[in-house]
Amino acid sequence: MYVVLGTAAAIAVAAVLGMFAFLAYFALPLFTADGFARMIDWTWRPADGSFGILPMVVGSLGLSALAMAVAFPVAVAVCAFAFGIGPRQPARIVMTIVNLMTGIPTIVYAFAAAIILPPLLRAGFEGGTGFSLLGAALVLAVLVLPTIVLVIDSNWQGLMAATRHTTAALGMNPTQHVLGVMIPASRAGLLAAFVLGFGRALGDTMVALMLSGNVPLVPESPIDSVRALTAHISLVMSLEVGGPGYQSAFAAGFILLLTTSAISIAVRNMGRRGSSGA
Amino acid sequence: MRWNHRSVYAFMGAFILAFGLSGLAGCATETTEEAPVSQEESVADITSSLDAFAGLEGDLDIAGGTAHIPVMEALAADIMSANDAIAITVAGGGSGVGVQQIGEGLVEIGNSGRELKDDEIAKYPGLELHAWAIDGVTAIVHPDNPVQELTADQVKAIFAGEITDWSEVGGNSGAINVYAREEGSGTGETFIEKGLGNGDVSERAVIVTSNGAMKTSVAADAAAIGFMSIGGVDDSVAAVSYDNVEPTNENALNGSYVVTRKLYSVTQGTPEGLTAVFLEYLMGENGVTYIEDAGYIPTYAR
Amino acid sequence: MVRRVAEILLVITSWVSSLGVVAVVVALVAFLVYRSASVLDLQLFFGDVAWPDAVFGGARVLHGIWPAIAGTLILIAASSAVAIPLGIAAGVFISEYASGRFRATITFLVDVLAGTPSIIMGLFGFSMILLLRQTIAPDAGTGLLVAAVCLALLVLPYMIRATQNALEGLPAEMRLLGASMGMSHSQSVLRILIPAASRGILSGAVLSLGRAAEDTAVIMLTGAVATAGGRGPQSLTDKFEALPFKIFVIAAEHNTAEELSVGFASALVLLVLTASLFSLTFILQRSLERLWKA
Repeated sequence: MYVVLGTAAAIAVAAVLGMFAFLAYFALPLFTADGFARMIDWTWRPADGSFGILPMVVGSLGLSALAMAVAFPVAVAVCAFAFGIGPRQPARIVMTIVNLMTGIPTIVYAFAAAIILPPLLRAGFEGGTGFSLLGAALVLAVLVLPTIVLVIDSNWQGLMAATRHTTAALGMNPTQHVLGVMIPASRAGLLAAFVLGFGRALGDTMVALMLSGNVPLVPESPIDSVRALTAHISLVMSLEVGGPGYQSAFAAGFILLLTTSAISIAVRNMGRRGSSGA
Repeated sequence: MRWNHRSVYAFMGAFILAFGLSGLAGCATETTEEAPVSQEESVADITSSLDAFAGLEGDLDIAGGTAHIPVMEALAADIMSANDAIAITVAGGGSGVGVQQIGEGLVEIGNSGRELKDDEIAKYPGLELHAWAIDGVTAIVHPDNPVQELTADQVKAIFAGEITDWSEVGGNSGAINVYAREEGSGTGETFIEKGLGNGDVSERAVIVTSNGAMKTSVAADAAAIGFMSIGGVDDSVAAVSYDNVEPTNENALNGSYVVTRKLYSVTQGTPEGLTAVFLEYLMGENGVTYIEDAGYIPTYAR
Repeated sequence: MVRRVAEILLVITSWVSSLGVVAVVVALVAFLVYRSASVLDLQLFFGDVAWPDAVFGGARVLHGIWPAIAGTLILIAASSAVAIPLGIAAGVFISEYASGRFRATITFLVDVLAGTPSIIMGLFGFSMILLLRQTIAPDAGTGLLVAAVCLALLVLPYMIRATQNALEGLPAEMRLLGASMGMSHSQSVLRILIPAASRGILSGAVLSLGRAAEDTAVIMLTGAVATAGGRGPQSLTDKFEALPFKIFVIAAEHNTAEELSVGFASALVLLVLTASLFSLTFILQRSLERLWKA
């Protein structure tokens, strides 16, 4: 049994390691004095020989940050609603709908938004094409919201059970309970949820590809177009194989992987610390 | 609510099995056509000329230029209706993808709306280009835009980002939203080379990745300007006249409209088998209807 | 006083947010239904081909979305065939047999994989094919197999985690049960623990199916095409259509309003498919928790 399972686990591990190893191998040409350094630049203009992907790094981070700035407070507010502020039945309905939201594919969000959003943004804001940092970030926010809510929810379930009677005995109403006890006490869990949502937003391709305008420039305002690292990868896959443009996909992938791995580790560590605290 | 997990197993298993098997069943129970398709009138017209494909079998994978897609899909559908043993897949991606995929040998035909670049020739020696249509590339604006004529210099300046307001070219005041294509695009390269005289395209241009996407973006944005294949232009956008020449494929043919290119299908070396038959059909008399239906001018008999 | 203001703000925000979220979801679904209403009929799926012929007889559907549906179903079946057994085995191994350093390392790898953006799997798949062509398999190409393997990599961590969580969530007494009856560790795992955790494992399997069905970035680079011969892929090397990719292509390249409506209809179909799968996951998960909550 041990042998059978061990082999299967070994295959799984080998597959994962293999994937990362091969990616590193494909990215090898980058790790020369010429290779990677070229990519650490602020200008992306292949026609002129510039292959800088830094604007895309800013684009990705900006999109995720803005998305979280919207999604995180909303997620906490929704959880507050579900954990006392809202009446029982509506609270259950809201949570059920949030659970259903996890089943909505990103391509569906991206498609619907691509039709509705740009005209709205063009009308609402002076100038701009509607394909912007703001538009993409809003859709990303809706996309990652259920993830954040569910993480906070599972964190608060235990906390609620532990503190419910105490606060009731003290005469606190549900709002005070959430505001004064739940939120402060679950700081670690909230942080973990935030980081997890951020990672999810960072890793998304389709929303960024279809809604952000794909302009390889650092944005000066929320209605400017940006390009995310993920969208960049899919855009340059059609360039000459082995050429610097194509290779930039691996540079972008490398940066993404580094960031999301760091996030995964951080979340796992927070989880460990959080359960021993609070 | 009590869910008997055994019933869930059964449901899921049935679900997967039913659909997985039915999909694969298609390959077990191949509907073989032993006799030629019925000789009724309109069908006979198609099938008699599609006789070239009778008795052939195999897969033909096609990828590349988005301008080529309507022609490819229409032709593929007719061929597959007439011959069940042939499977043709069509993918887009743009001319860059087309050249890359055929160069790497991932498809049998790569479509391109431009000639090969030097580095492509160097990287993939042995690629053969087969032209089958003439097409132009035109600047397009929203149909409600009063500006429907531009000089070559104005077009250059607008796309370069030097002219930024519609009022500067006789329109209503408002910022100009420039849309452009991705780096490998054949449509894009043709427009930049012949329409912009190799001028720059503003870094702020919104990048879209197909002719269709360009059309829908410009159709939805009253302040937009972009460019696309003439064959695909319809009522949702307005083609801009260039130096007083109407952007039509007739003008492309007679030389008065200069922003033109041919539509190519690229193969590795000389095409053989199904690929050869397909291309011969497309480039011959039978291909003319498909090409013209899509709005292009066939190179056949020119 | 400040406290009071803060409380009122929280109440308002929580109501507004909750209503807002519900409104967005309802609006989205309503929008999809509204925009696809004009094309929602049997013809949307099968064109002018009779549906039993298409589904069971392998007849070609050249003007309907059935090939994309078939492609998606076959794709998720293929990727799950790889990911589910591997994931369950690995999950059981990590939970019941691995310990200490070893366990921490594998868990770390699974975490990293779980956080990896899906486009990276697609990048891997595409580059792998190019490498294979240059070395040991000159005829390799993008198609069902590559896409299924890459999708399997994508959903593997979900499967492993679900199995692991299901097993770890079992009451401690369960583990004593087997020992008290004289069973070996392996027998206990096989006959007691896994069956007890089966709901959670099943929920993970369904989640994997859902996740594989919805992904676009991976298949975009590993074999999805706009049109593929009117039926699902017939062999492992065939290129295929898939619902998410079809939606993407229509969004990018649609030429007529009708095509756009077909896109909305496809989105609706995909939504129904994945929402059902995810709901099933949720239901199973809940029933597992309820089972062991005592």
